[in-house]
Amino acid sequence: VSRRGLSDRLAGAAAVAVALWYGWTAQSFVQGFGDPAGPAVFPTVVAVPMGVLGLVLVLRPDPDPSWGRGPVLLRQGLSLATLLAYPALLQLTGFPIATALAGAAVARVLNAHWPAALTTGAVLGVGLYLLFVYGLGLVLPLGPRLG
Amino acid sequence: MDFVAPLAQGFAVAVQPHNLGLAFVGCFLGMIIGALPGLGPVNGVAILIPLAFTLGLDPTSSLILLTCVYYGTMYGGSISSIMLNIPGEAAAMMTALDGYPMAQAGKGAQAMAISAVGSFVGAMLATVGLMLFSPLLVRVAIHFGPIEYFALYVLAFATIGGVAESNPIKTLLAAFIGLALATVGLDAVSAVPRYTFGSFYLFDGINPIVAIVGLFAISEMLAFLEQAGSGMIAPVIKITRAYASPRELLFAFGAMLRGSVVGFIAGVMPGSGATLGSLLSYTLEKRVSNRDDTFGKGDPRGVAAPEAGNNAAAGGALVPMLALGIPGSGTTAVMLALLISLNIQPGPLLFEKQPDLVWGLIAALFIANIILLIMNMPMVGLFTWMMSMPMWALMPFVVLMSFVGVYSINQSAFDLYAMVAFGVFGFVLRKLDISLIPIVLGLLLGTEMENNFRRALSISGGDYAILFSSPMGNAIYTLTAVMLAIAFYLAWKRSSRAV
Repeated sequence: VSRRGLSDRLAGAAAVAVALWYGWTAQSFVQGFGDPAGPAVFPTVVAVPMGVLGLVLVLRPDPDPSWGRGPVLLRQGLSLATLLAYPALLQLTGFPIATALAGAAVARVLNAHWPAALTTGAVLGVGLYLLFVYGLGLVLPLGPRLG
Repeated sequence: MDFVAPLAQGFAVAVQPHNLGLAFVGCFLGMIIGALPGLGPVNGVAILIPLAFTLGLDPTSSLILLTCVYYGTMYGGSISSIMLNIPGEAAAMMTALDGYPMAQAGKGAQAMAISAVGSFVGAMLATVGLMLFSPLLVRVAIHFGPIEYFALYVLAFATIGGVAESNPIKTLLAAFIGLALATVGLDAVSAVPRYTFGSFYLFDGINPIVAIVGLFAISEMLAFLEQAGSGMIAPVIKITRAYASPRELLFAFGAMLRGSVVGFIAGVMPGSGATLGSLLSYTLEKRVSNRDDTFGKGDPRGVAAPEAGNNAAAGGALVPMLALGIPGSGTTAVMLALLISLNIQPGPLLFEKQPDLVWGLIAALFIANIILLIMNMPMVGLFTWMMSMPMWALMPFVVLMSFVGVYSINQSAFDLYAMVAFGVFGFVLRKLDISLIPIVLGLLLGTEMENNFRRALSISGGDYAILFSSPMGNAIYTLTAVMLAIAFYLAWKRSSRAV
């Protein structure tokens, strides 16, 4: 097997694996009374073509896209880490500070200089809080959640 | 003329101050989102859906807000095509072909004005078409039972990628992924939990709004990070006003009319949407009018036709969405998500049960078009300023807006993590050139599709032959087969040409 089209081959293989698991799991769903099709038939009907299409993708892949390397991957990782940390931060520090930090981090990842990134964060933290709480009447935590 | 009275009723709904205000806000936001490179109508509507929730809007007002955003993005999308040669969204691609050369030749003001008037003509005619054709479609669809509906869903999934999509295998695969996602949660009939991993959060199924915002907004950020390093910024051609003389507008008027008709038909067709509308309008106009080989070099008719076409297609796409509950484009699919979340099931009964919603929307569209046309002129300067705004200021705003919006639905951190997961998933799919729209559509329509499937089978006592027992249903299957064959033939032709 050549390495050409590896991305599609992997995606196709993943689709086949998911389809197998998905169809297999469906067979354990219990059929109710007065429901001749039952909860298992539709997932089975979905699983079969999904697996077949995945297989076609494995056999006839398109050319590979160019995946980000090094710095790009790092930036994507950093921004995702920011987004994943945000909900926890929200509980910890309240909305304005969490949003300011996340906003500054995302701006910084996008090549903003530190002063610009921090300003963006601060504007977003305060601005979005005012907009959502006073403009739209939403309840957002101002400070750390106590208790 | 059985639409006069309901339309008057609709205007009574649409001119209520809060609806009028929402139409105005929607147009404004839509134009800005459409003008920003990379943020198209689907993203625009997806990002603003949570806003409709946080505002606690009723279904009619929400729908007015979002369709105005939709129409606004269609107007705005052409602006960056003309100024930057970068389409703000896929449907504005064709506008760049003649719009950018016009701007280069110092005719930016004319290009902007012709694009605005073309959009206006297209959208107005399409709204009239929506008003006339939806009730006709409803009259047919009212007789549809589960068999016909199941067939319609099959048609919608088989054709959502349209004929322009690169690889039909991938589009179909995406549809099945979406359908699989739709089955997550407690089965409504048997109360069996399916694919929930025992997690309480998944019992209600996957919230389509969370999935949509993740798939589009978060993946947009990840995709943007790839280009950010290259630091490529096209020179902005600064345009400070939009003006064209009546003679210039008249010259392009025929192109607008032709573009509108072609675009509307393309929009009503399942699974094609505005991109195909503008593509076909431009191609046709070029064939009709390109006598002196002026197209592609700044012919105003090359701006007028695709702009009228993509706006007319946007209106046309609302026809199957409202009358059948089956969206004709990506953006209408996202709008459907909102309606379903508000417990409104579009379809033939909508016209009977909630005439205020349907006709209020139609009236709001007429008003929105006028707002957009007027707003376009003075806002050109603002757009020029916005185009030169750096992405590092804009992206955090978009991302955090999506976070707050999704958070405000359930105040649940789980939703936020799910959104990020969908963002990564959406990014990988985009890289692989797998369309996200069929996934959204599958997630949205999967439950109803399965319900109709099971209803049909319970009528027949489990005999699958019933699925092919209705002439109307079989006609729909035949149409599906033909459309699929065309898509595969075109894909095969493209790939054999590439080799």
